[in-house]
Amino acid sequence: MLGEYFSDVWIEGEVSNFKAYPSGHLYFALKDEGSQLQAVCFRHSASRLKFALEDGLLVIGHGRLEVYQPSGKYQVILDAIEPKGLGALQKAFEQLKRKLEKEGLFATERKRALPELARVVGIVTSPAGAAVHDMIRTLRLHKAHVKVVLFPAQVQGEGAAEQIAEGIATLCARPEIDVVIVGRGGGSIEDLWSFNEEVVARAIAASRVPVISGVGHETDFTIADFVADVRAATPTAAAQLVATAWEDLETRLSDLATQLLESLQQVLFEKEQAVDELARHRAFDLMAARVAELGHKVERMTAGAEGATRGTLRHAVAALAVQDEKLNRQSPVAQVLRRKVALQNLAARLEKPVLALVSGQGARLGRAGAGLDALSPLASLDRGYSICLKPDGSVVSRTGQVRPGEDISLRVSDGSIGCRVERTGGTDTGGY
Amino acid sequence: MSKSEKPTEAIDFEKALAELEGIVKQLEAGNLALEKSLALFERGVQLARACKDKLAEAELKVSQLVKDKQGLFSEEVFKEERG
Repeated sequence: MLGEYFSDVWIEGEVSNFKAYPSGHLYFALKDEGSQLQAVCFRHSASRLKFALEDGLLVIGHGRLEVYQPSGKYQVILDAIEPKGLGALQKAFEQLKRKLEKEGLFATERKRALPELARVVGIVTSPAGAAVHDMIRTLRLHKAHVKVVLFPAQVQGEGAAEQIAEGIATLCARPEIDVVIVGRGGGSIEDLWSFNEEVVARAIAASRVPVISGVGHETDFTIADFVADVRAATPTAAAQLVATAWEDLETRLSDLATQLLESLQQVLFEKEQAVDELARHRAFDLMAARVAELGHKVERMTAGAEGATRGTLRHAVAALAVQDEKLNRQSPVAQVLRRKVALQNLAARLEKPVLALVSGQGARLGRAGAGLDALSPLASLDRGYSICLKPDGSVVSRTGQVRPGEDISLRVSDGSIGCRVERTGGTDTGGY
Repeated sequence: MSKSEKPTEAIDFEKALAELEGIVKQLEAGNLALEKSLALFERGVQLARACKDKLAEAELKVSQLVKDKQGLFSEEVFKEERG
C-alpha cells in the first residue's frame, strides 16, 4: 500500500555509510541536517551510474519507498542517482583523477616530446566554436605552413566525450598526422566536462602521436590536460606550440644564410690579402725597373733612327712589341691582378643569390639583409671580371695548370665562355 | 655540383638545415682551398634557396573530416563560418 502511494519519489541527501556489496548492490543512507533514510540501489541500476558513490557526496535519487520487513523500517529503492551541484562534479573529477594517476597515465615518463616540426596537425574541436578560429588564426599569424585536419566534434553535452574520443582515435590512425590538438574555448565546469571523462582520457593515452590539450582558460585544469603529452593553457597556446617550431625554422634559415655569406667573405678576404701581400713583393720592383729600361731602349733606338733604314726600325719596334707583350703575359703582376679580379668577381657573383635569399624573407630576414649590406666589403665589387676554370671546375690561377690546346671556360656574371688555350708562358711565381 | 643530388627530391628541412650548418662550420674553420670553399658555398646557397622556396610555397591548409553513410571519413575543405 505504501508502494502504491510512493512509487515515484525524488529524494535528495548526502551519502553516508556507503557499502558496495560483491553482488553489485549498493547500500547507504541518505541524510540531511535533521533526518536520514536507508537507501538501496540494486545492481542493474548501479551499473548505469556515471560516477562512484561515496560518503559525503550530495545526490538526487529517484525510486520508490517501501518498508524493509525484517526491521520494519522505511527504505528507498533507487533506480537513478544523479550527482548534485558543483561539489559532485568536483568529486567525480577527483575520483577519476585518482584512478588514472594510480594507473600511471599522468606519469612524466609517458609524456612524448612534440615533433620538432609538425607538418600535419589534427585538431579535435567544434567546427563552430571560437577555439577553431583562434587556432587557425594563430597558425596563420606565425606562418606555420602546416596542413590542418579538423575532426568536427561536439565539445559539450551528451555524447560529446565519445565524439572527442573518436576524433582523437580517427586522427591518430591517419599516418600523415604528426600531432593532435584537442580542445575548446572557455566555459563553465559543466561546459568543459567532456574533457574530464574517462573515455577522452583513454583516447589521449592510446594516441599514436603526441597530444596537446588546450581546454578553456589558463585556470581550467581537466583530466585531458593531465593525460595529454603537453598541456597548453588555451587553444591559442596549443596552436602556438606548433607554430613556434616553424618560426624558429625561419630564423635558423635566415641566420644560416647570413653566416654562410659571412664565412665566404672571410675566406675571400683572406685569399685577397695573400694576393695583396704578393703584389708588394720586391720582385715587382725589379720588373718595373726592367720595363723602364725597355722604355729607354726604345727612346734610344728612336733617337738613333735617323741613320737607320725604315725597315730596320720597323723590325726593331716589332721585336720590342713582341717582347713587351711576352713580358706582360709572363708578368706576375698581371697574374696577381687577374687572380684578384677573379676573386672579386666571384665574390660579387656569389653574394647575389644569398642576398636575394635574405632580402626575400619577412621583416626579420629583411633586417638580416640590411645588416649584411652594411658590413659587406664585397658590395662594391661587381665590375664584370671573370674567373678561369678547368673542365673539372678547378680555378686556373697559374700558367702551369693548363697546356696549349686544352679547353677552359671563363665564368662571367651571366654565364660562361668556352675557350681554348693557345699558349702559356712565364715562370711560376710561387708563393701561394 | 657533387655526387648524386636530386633537385626534385622533396626537401627535408631538418636534413637540409643540418647540412647547411655543417657547411657554414667548414667555411668558418677556414684553411680550405678556394675551389673547395666555392663548392661548399654553392651547395649552401642551393640548400638555403630550396628551403626558402619550400617555405614560400607552403601555405596553411585546413580540411575537415566528414563521415559518409558507411562510416568512412573523407576530407573536405574547411570553410570558417566567420572571419
